Amino acid sequence: MNLYEHTIIARSDVSPNQIKQLLDKYTKIVEKFDGNIVKTENWGLLYLSYLIKKNKKGNYIHLKIKGSGKTISELEKNEKIDKNLLRFLTVKVKKFDLKTNYFEKKQEEVREKSY
Amino acid sequence: MKRNNKKKKSTQSNFAKLSIFQPQKYKFKKKCPLSGKGAPVIDYKNVKLLKKYMTENGKIMPSRITSVSQKKQRELSLSIKRARNLALI
Repeated sequence: MNLYEHTIIARSDVSPNQIKQLLDKYTKIVEKFDGNIVKTENWGLLYLSYLIKKNKKGNYIHLKIKGSGKTISELEKNEKIDKNLLRFLTVKVKKFDLKTNYFEKKQEEVREKSY
Repeated sequence: MKRNNKKKKSTQSNFAKLSIFQPQKYKFKKKCPLSGKGAPVIDYKNVKLLKKYMTENGKIMPSRITSVSQKKQRELSLSIKRARNLALI
């Protein structure tokens, strides 16, 4: 079993309900091929630094997956077809750091400013 | 008399620092900021850290300017490229 970090960028005009559906869909695929999702992080709508398929913003979802190489290849196979996604990236890691979340802090700062 | 002696010594050392042919003590090399104890972990998600080692145009800075060690520079360039792919940088 290997540890993977998997990030998905969905299109900006995808509704929150659809994002949940996407997550459900991919968790099912992972679990079908005897994988296990350790943690999911929703980074929310972020500005892309350059246009991807004429999108300025993207919904970022980050998954920490424990599984074999086959689970990842199946996942990516399904993601390639999906039209709601812009990009995905998988990185194999030796250890998860579950403490630090680089994108959660920003949201808190924004909230503080708005108050 | 004693005072005069002290003054002379201090001025001499100052001139030594100014001269081109410096002794080895005054030459110092900056240490790598990313290796050693308490150094930040290089990660493609840590955009703040990665931006320190890039120019304003988004190029990777050479290690001879940032004095990052060879090993860490390789890690840096890899994680910068990953972040670019995710449109974080």
